[in-house]
Order: sequence, then structure tokens, then C-alpha cells
Amino acid sequence: MDEIKKDGLSRRTLLKGAGALSAGIAAGGLAAPAVVRAQGTKTIRFLNAETSIDSIRALKVAAAEYEKQFGTKVVVDSVPLDGIFTKVTTSLRGGTPYDIATFAFVGHVLILAAEGQLMPLNELTDKYKWGPNILFPVDGKVYWYPYDYNLAWIYYRKDLYEKNKLEVPKTWDGFLKNSQALNGDGTAGSLFPIGSNGATNWLSPGFMWAEGVQLFDDKWNIIFDNADMAPRASRYLDFFGDLYKTMPSGTSQASFGEVLSNFTSGKVAHTAYAGRIIETIERNNPALADKYGIMPYMDSAGKHQAVNHGYDGWVVLKTPQSDEAMKFMKWFTENQYINFLHTAPLHFQPPRLDVYDDARWRAHPLIEKHNAAVEMMKSFLTDKNMILTSIDTQGPSPSLKPGKIFEAFVFPEMLQNKVLKGMSSAECVKAAADRMRQVIAS
Amino acid sequence: MSSKATIYSFLFLGLAVTALLIVAPVVYAVSLSFYQMDSFVGAPKWAGLDNYTRMLSQWVFWRALINGFIYSFGTIIFQVVLGIGFALVLNQVFPGRNIVRGLSILPYLLPTVVVVLTFKWMVDGSIGVLTTMMSALGLPQVQWFESPGAAMASVILVSVWMWTPFVTTTFLAALQTVPSSLYEAAKVDGTNAVQRFFHITLPMLKPILTVIVLLRAVWMFNKFDVIWLLTQGGPVGATEHLAILSYKQAFGQFDIGGGAAVATISFAILSLVVFIYFRLFPLDTE
Repeated sequence: MDEIKKDGLSRRTLLKGAGALSAGIAAGGLAAPAVVRAQGTKTIRFLNAETSIDSIRALKVAAAEYEKQFGTKVVVDSVPLDGIFTKVTTSLRGGTPYDIATFAFVGHVLILAAEGQLMPLNELTDKYKWGPNILFPVDGKVYWYPYDYNLAWIYYRKDLYEKNKLEVPKTWDGFLKNSQALNGDGTAGSLFPIGSNGATNWLSPGFMWAEGVQLFDDKWNIIFDNADMAPRASRYLDFFGDLYKTMPSGTSQASFGEVLSNFTSGKVAHTAYAGRIIETIERNNPALADKYGIMPYMDSAGKHQAVNHGYDGWVVLKTPQSDEAMKFMKWFTENQYINFLHTAPLHFQPPRLDVYDDARWRAHPLIEKHNAAVEMMKSFLTDKNMILTSIDTQGPSPSLKPGKIFEAFVFPEMLQNKVLKGMSSAECVKAAADRMRQVIAS
Repeated sequence: MSSKATIYSFLFLGLAVTALLIVAPVVYAVSLSFYQMDSFVGAPKWAGLDNYTRMLSQWVFWRALINGFIYSFGTIIFQVVLGIGFALVLNQVFPGRNIVRGLSILPYLLPTVVVVLTFKWMVDGSIGVLTTMMSALGLPQVQWFESPGAAMASVILVSVWMWTPFVTTTFLAALQTVPSSLYEAAKVDGTNAVQRFFHITLPMLKPILTVIVLLRAVWMFNKFDVIWLLTQGGPVGATEHLAILSYKQAFGQFDIGGGAAVATISFAILSLVVFIYFRLFPLDTE
């Protein structure tokens, strides 16, 4: 201690110095935003959830172009979709909210809209004609700008159908027979996930929607196990139980990646997904590019067809930069939207119907090459008889209730009860309905 | 500054950090359990004990509690038994002992996500290397996650593989403190290896065993990452324990209060278990 003092550096002096330094750094940090403001640079923060390199690049190119044209900086942060809502809400709580964010779940939009945290986007959406069931308005106000549909439909191996002289099925029986016929010789008949994950919620209930199953009545009562719905749901489970026997080992844990890899590597003859499968085939296994076909989910009697709903969109949050964010969104959706769609040309299915006639969008090589699939994808939106629904969009109006059922994985557990635990279909339906009531009560 | 003042200043600093980083979040989490909230945005509504009564009346809570005990006991028993066994082996003199000792800690050093994803790909039903090898050998395929029992066994297996090295290393260090004269005297008295283990090694290691079992119990009861990455609590909720349920309730089902109530109950159960444990196995036996 004394030796230190001799050098003129006591512990007290050291602590004082360190304290002063810390205070200086802190003051500098606090002063930084003021400096930025003084320079007059406006900054918008954009939270993106499309994490492919192409999508991030397209957003950053657009941000750079916008800054060049208007002098407003757009900072793009990207996080996986799973973490987006937590990030948005914590940024709001932390006092540094994002100005624009990507959401893929209407429940998140509804929560923030109810709390008055979102800007209405009618001035952006009213200009266009949209596909069905996509704007989710609340009291006439649209709180998000949907940029794609991710509808789930059925993929099948056209070449195997031709080789085995199979017809495209119109009923569950037909689909089951085809799956059984193609099961073997290193190829599984079908793959529809049953794990407690989003993939199951998205890819496996389509048959049930085609059968006319609904979860709620007009007053938000659960009707899944009533006299009308229970037999339909039971039929679906009986069919799924038989179909499960044609699926590969590991189906109980399969998620998006496994579904993609199994079909694109030729290991299963049927599965379900949106346009991502075609893009993956082109990238990883081009030999399959002309050997697949797509079809909607069918019902047991061959009378109705369905696709499972899926969607993504952008919201503008109420922040001090809301006006700037709205200007950016207006510019972006008019000038850069198609560039963004082209980063996943078949997976980002346009919800704006004008885009299907836009030569710029049509000019993408994959859209040109897979025109037959694209036309069918469009017909899923324009066919008035097509049932377009999902667990999270069930019910008389947009609400958090079906979202809770989605997130509680009630349907995956119902499928697991059927195929892993061997419960009767009626018991599975009853258990699922009870769980739904429990979940929406919270 | 007097030495007393120095002690108090360090004590204050420690208490302040503890209060800020541990006590405050716990108090906040507990307080959340008395409110109804869809998200962290917006005004919470006072709910009193409703979240507790609601969660305690749901069978998923009791299923998660039982799963938590099964998972904790299963992992602790295997980790401790195998850990002691490996430590005894590694305490012997044999060629390459230092290399083997180094390798034995490897699973503990690997990031959880690496271990879990590697395991999942190895046992994948279609393209997993284990699946392919067993198929080539004409062996029946193991359904790692297809049934509730198999899924729990798989989760325990991965957890044991990852954290047994921690037990091994701790016991190995403790074994170095056992005086060799005790073993020599016992040998002179004609004892065999098993008798020496139960009458010398185990009593000497009892304090460390007490701490290890406690630490592992607390960590495994709260373990989230392995189960989440492997099964997300499935199939049919067979591997869903209280930590997973709390997370799903709060962030999946937009029920922050319910999730906080589950976490608080879990905290209370764990505190009670620790209290009873220390009454049964006090550290200061002298």
C-alpha cells in the first residue's frame, strides 16, 4: 500500500479515477443518441424474421436504396420467427421499440393492436385486391401488411403415379390406397408429422378441414366434440391411423426440416408443404423437378377440398418514428415488394392478387418454369369452394383463442394419442375438446 | 479504510449484485403469478390466486410434476453411480491415464445444442447413422421417441451422457484427498476392494456426495435445454416437466401469469426438497 502511495497512486485515487472514467463513459453513452439526433439522421428499426440470406440481402439492399433516396437510415435486424414476438415486446418494454416487425401469427398482431401499439395500415392495403382470409381486420382496421401466403397442400410423386398407374385421389380411401401402393422399396408411402410442433399443426390437419371440421361456434364455444363434428373428427383420426402405417420411422419427431428432406430426397411419395419444397428440389435434387405434382387435401367422400392456411406479414409499431416507418413501408411495398417475393419465389405466395398478373413477378425463372404449380396455387385462392383455414384462424373472427389451441399443441397430442397410445378415435376427440376448453379458459 | 470497512463494502457489493440479479427477478416472477397478462405489453390485471388454482386443477400440471421427478431421479441415479464408477477407474494407475482423464470430460465441454442435434440426427428414423447400422446388421429398429417411455429414456440417456463427467471429475478430485494410509491399513486387515469402497471411500466422500446429489437434483429438476431441443415435451406430454410447462404456458399460450405460477410452485417445491434434504443429510455432521 505504502509503495503505491509513493508513486502517487493510492487506492482512493485509483477508485476515484475509475469512477470518473466510468461516469465519463456512461455520460458519453447517454449523450450518443443526442448526437445522432443533432446530426438530423432519421433511423427506422426493422425487425425481420425471414432469415434466408437472400431475404436479408433484399431487405438490406432496399434499406440502402431508401437511405440513398430519402436520407433515412433503415436498420434491419433479423431473428428467427420463434423469437420475434418476445423481441418485439421486450423492445417495447425496454423503451427502444422496433418501428417495423415481421409476424407470422395473427394472435401476435391482435395482442399488440388491442394494446394500441400498432398503426392501422389501411392506407397501404386498401389500394389492392387481396386473397381470402388474410387481412384479419379488427373493427374495419387492418393492422398488418401480409406479404405472403404459406398454404400447405399435398405433394405427390407424379413419376411414381405414372409408373404404378395410379390416379390422383379424390377421397381418403384413394389417397390411402395410393400411399400403401407406393410404400416399400426404400420409399415410404407418406409423411405427415405428428410431433408437438408447428409442422404438425400446419401440415397434418388439412384432411380434417376438408371433412368440414370446425372448432368453434359463433359464440366461441368449442363444438369439436358435438354431434356434428365428433363423427367427422373421428373419421379423420381413423383415416390418419391407417395412413400412419405408411409413414417412415421417426415421423413422431418430424418437423419442417425432416418433411423437406424426406420428400426432396425421394424417401417419401406423399407429403405436405408450401412452395419451399419446389425451391429445395431445384437446389438439392433437380432430377425431381418435373416429377412432382400438387393437390389440395381431400375429404372422405370426394366432395370437398382444403388447403391449410399459413401467412406472414409486417406491422408498423406506434413509435416516435411511426410516420417515417409508414413512409418507408409505402415506398417498400410499391417499389421493392416483388424483389422481396423473389427471394423465395414459390414459398412466398403473393396475397395481393394483382401480383399474379405482374410481368416482373412472373419473370422469375422458377415461377416461369413451375407455372403449372403456380396456377394451381393461385386457384387455391380463387376457387370459391376451396376451404382455406387453419387451427389459428378458426372461429367467427380473428382472436387469440384459436392461437392458444395452436400453441398448446392440442392437435399434435390428439394424433399422438391415436397412433402412439392407441386410444380410440372417440376418446381422442373428447380429450382434445376438453383440453381446448381448458386452454381457452386462461 | 479499516479492514472492517473493507469487509462491509465487499459484503454490500455482493448483496447488491445478488439483490439486483437474483432477488429482484425472483420477486418480479413471483409477483407476475398474481396477475393476468397476455404479454409483457399492456396493463396486467390483478388475479389473486386464480392462476394457482387454475394451474393446480389441470392434469397437465400434475403430469409435468411427475415427469420432473422421474427425469430428475433417473438422471441423478445414473449420473452418480456411473460418475463414481468412472472416477474409481480413472483413479487407478494405467498407461495413458491422463489422456483418458482428459477425454472423459469431453461430453461436459460440448454445447448442449451440439450434443442434442447430433444425437437426433444419429437416431433419425430414416437417415440416422445408428438406424442405418442397426438395419445393416439385421437388428430391429429402436423407436427412440415413438412411445412416451422411450422418449423419457432417450432424454435421460442424453442427460446422463452429458453430465456424468461433472460427477466423475468432482469425485476424482475428492478421491485424491483420501489418505492412502487408510487403504493400506485396511489391506493389512484383509479387506477386499468392495469392503474398502463401502467402509473407506464412500464415508470419506459423503460430504461431496451430499453436495453433488443436491446440485444435480436442482439442475436436473430445472433443466430446460436438453428436453426442449430433443422433444419439446412430447410425445403426448411424456417429457414435459414443470420448466417446459411454464415456458409453454407463458410464451406459447399467452398466459404469463399461469406460466409464472407454475415457475413459482416449482421454486417452492425445490426449496422444500432442499430443506428436507439438508435435514436428512446435514453437511456439518461433526
